Amino acid sequence: MTEESSSNPLNQIAVKITQSLKQFKDSDKPGRIDSLGRFGLFIPALASTLIIILILAFLWFESVPIFIDPVGGPGIIVSPTWDPNRDLYGIGIFIVGSLICTGIAIGLAVPLGIGGAIFLSEFCPMQLRQPIKMIIEMMAAIPSIVYGLWAYIVLVPIIKYNIAPLANSTTNGLSVLAGGIILAIMLLPTIVTISNDALQTVPMSLREASLALGATQSETSRKIVLSAALPGVGAAVVLSLGRAVGETMAVLMVTGNSLQIPYSLFDPTYVMTSIITNQLGYAFVFPLWRSALFAVGLVLLIMSMCFTITAKLFIRWGMKTRGYI
Amino acid sequence: MSNFEHHIEVHNLSTWFGKKHILKDITCYFKDNTITAIMGPSGCGKSTLLRSLNRLNDLVPSFRHTGIVLFRGEDIYGPGFSVYDLRTHIGMVFQKPNPFPMSVRDNITYGPKLHGTKDEDELEKIVETSLKKAALWDEVKDDLDHPAPNLSGGQQQRLCIARALSVDPPVLLMDEPVSALDPISATKIEELIVELKNDYTIILVTHNVQQAFRVSDQSAFLYLGELVEFDETKRILEAPTDSRTEAFITGRIG
Repeated sequence: MTEESSSNPLNQIAVKITQSLKQFKDSDKPGRIDSLGRFGLFIPALASTLIIILILAFLWFESVPIFIDPVGGPGIIVSPTWDPNRDLYGIGIFIVGSLICTGIAIGLAVPLGIGGAIFLSEFCPMQLRQPIKMIIEMMAAIPSIVYGLWAYIVLVPIIKYNIAPLANSTTNGLSVLAGGIILAIMLLPTIVTISNDALQTVPMSLREASLALGATQSETSRKIVLSAALPGVGAAVVLSLGRAVGETMAVLMVTGNSLQIPYSLFDPTYVMTSIITNQLGYAFVFPLWRSALFAVGLVLLIMSMCFTITAKLFIRWGMKTRGYI
Repeated sequence: MSNFEHHIEVHNLSTWFGKKHILKDITCYFKDNTITAIMGPSGCGKSTLLRSLNRLNDLVPSFRHTGIVLFRGEDIYGPGFSVYDLRTHIGMVFQKPNPFPMSVRDNITYGPKLHGTKDEDELEKIVETSLKKAALWDEVKDDLDHPAPNLSGGQQQRLCIARALSVDPPVLLMDEPVSALDPISATKIEELIVELKNDYTIILVTHNVQQAFRVSDQSAFLYLGELVEFDETKRILEAPTDSRTEAFITGRIG
């Protein structure tokens, strides 16, 4: 009987399959396969941390020449004059331009986005909530160049003819304000959807407790629901901050790319991402010029890392005071 | 203000959620400075009755009602009656402890601040008296700035009672306040409820006959949305007149 079954090729295959299945099931038990699996999972975890260190190192390595060269030096970070033809590589303008654009975008998008999320989560009739959410999520899928095109033909003229005259100012419309507004529009879907999800996870019982104390619905949503969801809402702001600093195409198309510090909202400017995109092609044969552009990238990366770390610390503090951790 | 005999009276109250008929023609009243227990098996409408008294059912869009609920002689569902005013006079404690995710102190001052108390000294006083009334002061007086969700379950529930007391409501609604707690915490809170009776009118929803017997003065027994019996607790539990009440007390339904 046994001899017959082992000689049967079909049975041999069946035995092979059941054996490997058994081994697969046993792999949960501590042993060689288990430690192999743990090691296998350690590699991707290590790789993701290694990647950010490698990127930092590579950017640093590429930007060292400009930082040690007598015509450059660390002073380029605050120097406002960028003129590679005269060996002047000040990148201060780009830093200021990026910060102002990001500031405007965050200043517009955060209050609007959180307001929209509160409406969706607390006041919107049930039947309307899903359709509105879907439309907002679709906004996130629009390529940034399309936003740029739209801003170029709609937003820029509006600033030129309608907004600037209000402030008794003349401009061709290509300005920090245009960059900030288009960035804000691009950030809105992220802020609204993530904040809305955070607000929805606040237990109904907290809303009831607040209402039962005689609070109105608006007091409840501001002082209890938003406060309880603040760590989640903070995460939405962190994500959008990172995107705002790093966004390239749309900003490049509407900020005018002029090498000057903007003194009013209607002045054009040059942001860090734009200068890299615009000049890397020409700069490749000039080591110092090239290195200066990499220095811009390095400063950009460090800036966005600082933003993220600060925001994370803030979120952690928020979670501690709320007793979540 | 018009004359009234009891803080809360309910006349011919029927309620629906959508097409589901929950409460059927309920008439009862809640004596001042007593504890009224609302008893009954699950799904009989105990919580719905309780939530009709501070209009928390209004949150459900499909909620409808007929009949009258009077608070100090005024129809709380009547036109021009402020629901926010009503809820500051009728406090509520829920089944699961639900402290706000903020410090112990902020939990207590939330209500008074809403209603316009700004003076720091006064708020401090409210924090102390409310926590003392809820028998929690000695345990948390040194940790008033610690987050409330870090307290134990029983402490959290007493904090919720203190929070309800912070706006000094004459009436307290309690929706199975000890059913989610361990026996020791539950006993503590039961004792507290009996103590609070001297200053407050308490309406207590409970699933537990022994608890109703220990704590309450009068009882309402609900079964499938009908008010089966409404009398002194002792009388109901010792000599139920309705066979359904008897079945519930002896544990055959519930």
